[in-house]
Amino acid sequence: MAQKPTNKTVSTKKSATNDDQQSIWSQSIPVKEQSQIIKRMLKFSLPFKGLFISAILTSAALAIVNILLPKLLQVFMDKYLTVRTGTTRVILGFAALYLMGTILKAILQFTSNYTYSVGAEKSLESVREQLFRKLHTLGMRYFDLTPAGSIVSRVTNDTMTIMDFLQVFASILTGTFAIVSAFIAMHALNARGSWLVLAFLPLLLLAIWYYAKYSSWVYRKMREKLSELNIKLNESIEGMSIIRQFRQEKRISQEFEKTNGEYLATRKAMIRTNSLLLSSLINLLYALALTLVLGQFGLLSQHQFVEAGVIYAFTTYVANFFNPMSDMMDSLSALQDGVVAGKRIFRILDDDHLTPQQHPDAAGTIETGEIEFRHVSFSYDGQHEILHDVSFVAKPGETVGIVGHTGSGKSSIINIMMRFYEFYQGQILIDGRDIKDYPMPELRRKMGLVLQDSFMFYGDVASNIRLFNPKITDAEIEAAAEFVQADTFINQLTNRYHARVIEGGTQFSSGQRQLISFARTVVTNPKILVLDEATANIDTETESLIQEGLRRIRRGRTTIAIAHRLSTIKDAEQIIVLDAGKIVEHGTHDQLLAQHGRYYQLYQLQQGQTE
Amino acid sequence: MGIFKKLGWFFQAEKKRYLWGLFFLLMADLAGLVPPRVIGILADKMGAKQLTLTTLFSWLGFLLLAAIVQYLSRFGWRNMIWGGAATLERELRTQLFSHFLKMDATFFQRHRTGDLMAHATNDLNAVQNVAGAGILTFADSILTGGTTIVAMLIFVDWRLTVVALLPMPLLAVMARVLGKHLHSAFSESQAAFSRLNDKTQESVSGVKVIKTFGQENEDVADFEQIVAKTITINKKVYRIDSLFDPITTLIIGLTYAITIAYGGHLVVTQAITLGQLISFVAYIGALVWPMFAIGRLFNVIERGNASYDRVQALLGERSETVMAKTTTKQPLHGDLDYQVTAFKYPDDQRLALQNIHFELKQGQTLGLVGRVGAGKTTIIKLLLREFDHYQGKITIGGRDIRDETLDSVLAGIGYVPQENFLFSTNIRDNIRFAAMTKSQAEVEAAAKESAIHDDILNFSSQYDTLVGEKGVSLSGGQKQRLSIARAIMTLPEILILDDALSAVDAKTETEILTDLKQDRDHKTTIIAAHRLSSVANADEILVIDDGQIVERGNHQQLLANDGWYAEMWRKQQIESQLGGESRGPETN
Repeated sequence: MAQKPTNKTVSTKKSATNDDQQSIWSQSIPVKEQSQIIKRMLKFSLPFKGLFISAILTSAALAIVNILLPKLLQVFMDKYLTVRTGTTRVILGFAALYLMGTILKAILQFTSNYTYSVGAEKSLESVREQLFRKLHTLGMRYFDLTPAGSIVSRVTNDTMTIMDFLQVFASILTGTFAIVSAFIAMHALNARGSWLVLAFLPLLLLAIWYYAKYSSWVYRKMREKLSELNIKLNESIEGMSIIRQFRQEKRISQEFEKTNGEYLATRKAMIRTNSLLLSSLINLLYALALTLVLGQFGLLSQHQFVEAGVIYAFTTYVANFFNPMSDMMDSLSALQDGVVAGKRIFRILDDDHLTPQQHPDAAGTIETGEIEFRHVSFSYDGQHEILHDVSFVAKPGETVGIVGHTGSGKSSIINIMMRFYEFYQGQILIDGRDIKDYPMPELRRKMGLVLQDSFMFYGDVASNIRLFNPKITDAEIEAAAEFVQADTFINQLTNRYHARVIEGGTQFSSGQRQLISFARTVVTNPKILVLDEATANIDTETESLIQEGLRRIRRGRTTIAIAHRLSTIKDAEQIIVLDAGKIVEHGTHDQLLAQHGRYYQLYQLQQGQTE
Repeated sequence: MGIFKKLGWFFQAEKKRYLWGLFFLLMADLAGLVPPRVIGILADKMGAKQLTLTTLFSWLGFLLLAAIVQYLSRFGWRNMIWGGAATLERELRTQLFSHFLKMDATFFQRHRTGDLMAHATNDLNAVQNVAGAGILTFADSILTGGTTIVAMLIFVDWRLTVVALLPMPLLAVMARVLGKHLHSAFSESQAAFSRLNDKTQESVSGVKVIKTFGQENEDVADFEQIVAKTITINKKVYRIDSLFDPITTLIIGLTYAITIAYGGHLVVTQAITLGQLISFVAYIGALVWPMFAIGRLFNVIERGNASYDRVQALLGERSETVMAKTTTKQPLHGDLDYQVTAFKYPDDQRLALQNIHFELKQGQTLGLVGRVGAGKTTIIKLLLREFDHYQGKITIGGRDIRDETLDSVLAGIGYVPQENFLFSTNIRDNIRFAAMTKSQAEVEAAAKESAIHDDILNFSSQYDTLVGEKGVSLSGGQKQRLSIARAIMTLPEILILDDALSAVDAKTETEILTDLKQDRDHKTTIIAAHRLSSVANADEILVIDDGQIVERGNHQQLLANDGWYAEMWRKQQIESQLGGESRGPETN
């Protein structure tokens, strides 16, 4: 019984770490919920049942081959060797037959392993796709509430455990096949002996049950300690300057050593558990069964002829019977991992912070781009009102400038207009029609948003302007870049429009990124423009380009502009001054100046600056 | 095998454990030889109808004894050898961690957190594998392999042994070759996984843009494309991985076929008994793992060696902090005299600081302002001894800080960094981070002074509330105020606020600064800020640009000067009206 390989998993696999697992490791999930999660997770494999069925069938066939090969040897021994009648031809014939059986076995092994792995892989990737698709149906609220890192970890890391999770079922299935087939084979050879071996089954099940129960407890403790250790390590590295500055090296080091020691203790406990109960115990039980079986045959031989081949075959089957047990036991811990990960996966799949929905029969098209806010009130959490009874009309082609403090509700106007968040009071009308009566793609096509921070995607300049829209030609991209005057700096790049953009576009200045994002909006030629002017300091050279760019893209489009510089919206047809979610002043630049109110004050300050 | 020598210090220290481990391993191997032979003997005796009950029971008793010995020795070596591996991992982790604690800023600039974490997890794992699986496979291939082959020779037949074992080395070759392929396929698979990870990361961060352009479906399609590629790459891994078992089966099958042919011939010619053949067949099974292990051993050793070298290279790096000339740990106090003529960051040609000269009498306040990246933080970093290789001299109370111990320089300084780093423990321990013995009353006093006390009382467990992912999520302003409380907890001689009030509203800022001013009578304060109102009351304000002082004076003088400071002041006044205030360029 070559069982040593199984132990390697104890020391390697389980050192894999995932920081945010700690909280979930320290709690245990009720059995009922566990079985529900397991059932739901198995459903992920349904679309690939073909692969799994063929893997199961081949592994059943494999179990049969595994009992036929010893049988072949038994016949060879008893028919030809005991009586020494084996001619060279017969002997070579058996050798060849055995070799052919081996080849068949190898083919079955490969097919079963490979198809099962591929099935598991496809299940895993399909879960990833489902999660990813689900993410895009969630509203911005979800992304506000959940840290990006943990979302990513759900999609990539947690899904990984599905692989191991399915492996548990693979080992249980192949184990069961092996045990059943070995029993049948033993029974055929010697019924009494087979019952003797079967009597060990309850003992084995008890051992498995106890191991599963006890080891999962130890295992959980170990994982908990490990993630605590890694969190400490990570945190200390990140906070090293603080530790150093406050001279806390000694204390932090002692704390770390304590956790390090505790982890070692749990790991040793895990090793002890495994060496006490895992393959060593199975091996002991095997030896006991073997002793009993041999005793049985020995007693039988007192009054009846017992063939050597039968002893060979029977003892081999006993080994086959016990062999898969430790594999099965070892894989059980993956079940735990899988359930924990599954729970978190389902939490996303069941999340109902959905993106705002349009009316089911929405079919309007935006023609002129007139916008009206009619008594709109809005709150993110249903408690604190951010916008209160906001009403205004923007005629086609007009610009409405919005001014106000941080927290006055400026950005919320954009957020509900872009349908990032649902509002429940009042109405937003476009071309006199409720915004919810337009299908989402129509809204996205006709409304362009220029965000404060210009997010860049990995790829090249052109792909950052085009995004995923294949209908946009290279000529259109260049025209758009020229229009917002981004072409000057793009043309200086080594590969111009095909210059690489690295993660976050950090090789460009924030002003350059802004220009690219202008081009991104211009190229889709929207009817309505929503602008969120950046407050960030932009280098002076690009500052004027950006002001010019903003002026140009607004031309001929209904624009809602949130401005931090009054010069941007001075020529707007209307200016709205927001305070605490309410419109406090409303009019043209000249009208507002004449009012001598808040806008007037701001303007005076601004004048003082630009002198 | 060099790695075994490199780890010699560890094996030396754990000599007893490993000797016992090897002893148990040998015992287990010897006991393992019993069952195949007993089966063979009993088969022969039964076949010849010579089995008496006494012989039967004495053999069975022997079998039972061997089983118990094997169980105990297995328990023994597993604990010894795997426990040794775990101990080595702990040992190396301790070494790495205490090394990290000794390193300076340059080290942490060179190595990113992710890399250091990878060393402390993946590399340590590969090294501990040498002390566990490596030792085991090495010893086992010799012990199990050796004893089994000896048993074959003694109990069965030397000719059969030689002929039947011919295909066995193929196992080692296979394990080695497939292991290599698997490793490289696995690297590809990891790269594919990273791509998937990056893609997800990007989509989550850029979700607003994707929504704006209505490209949810296209993004999903792009993701699916990456997934499809990942599947193709992973299939290769599974193909190789699925080959291990079948090839082992084939090689062993070949051995069996040879045994059938030649062994059968030997039985027919009465050179050996049938029972011996049966024993032989069982011994072949016992040889599979040791042969396989030899091949695997190379892979374990190769990876462990590379990892060990990486870890050693890290441990070999030295801090560039200048050694102190004294051993006193008495905090420095007195006037600060900052005379730095030039400083460059390591691995950077450009001058980061040039001719920064200022004097700060005890109890005075200094303001540092200037654009992002102008060098404000760099000035502070030198004072904090993060870098020592500058031209010039910084003295506190007339003593060169490079001559003093880190303890005496830093213990007198309370520092509030730009990035608010808090530890994932409770609020109380975060505040008294530098002085764990301080009482609740003292903690609360510091919290009140930093205007965070009322916020804390609103948290579910107040001062026991955990910070971080498992606990309360703090706003930027709350984090900054907690960091301030932490810094003033030790009543430092010099307090440094590095843009530490950017996320606090103007009113609270004034409150905090006034409180600090009152409380820190006769103590020195340095404030670096983006928002000029933070430094308006300072005794001297330095405007830094490109690592140099471009303007200096107090608030009134600088306004009169009508330079960058005056322009920024006016601009910020407007922004604070318009709502752009309190947003430093890097907070958002």
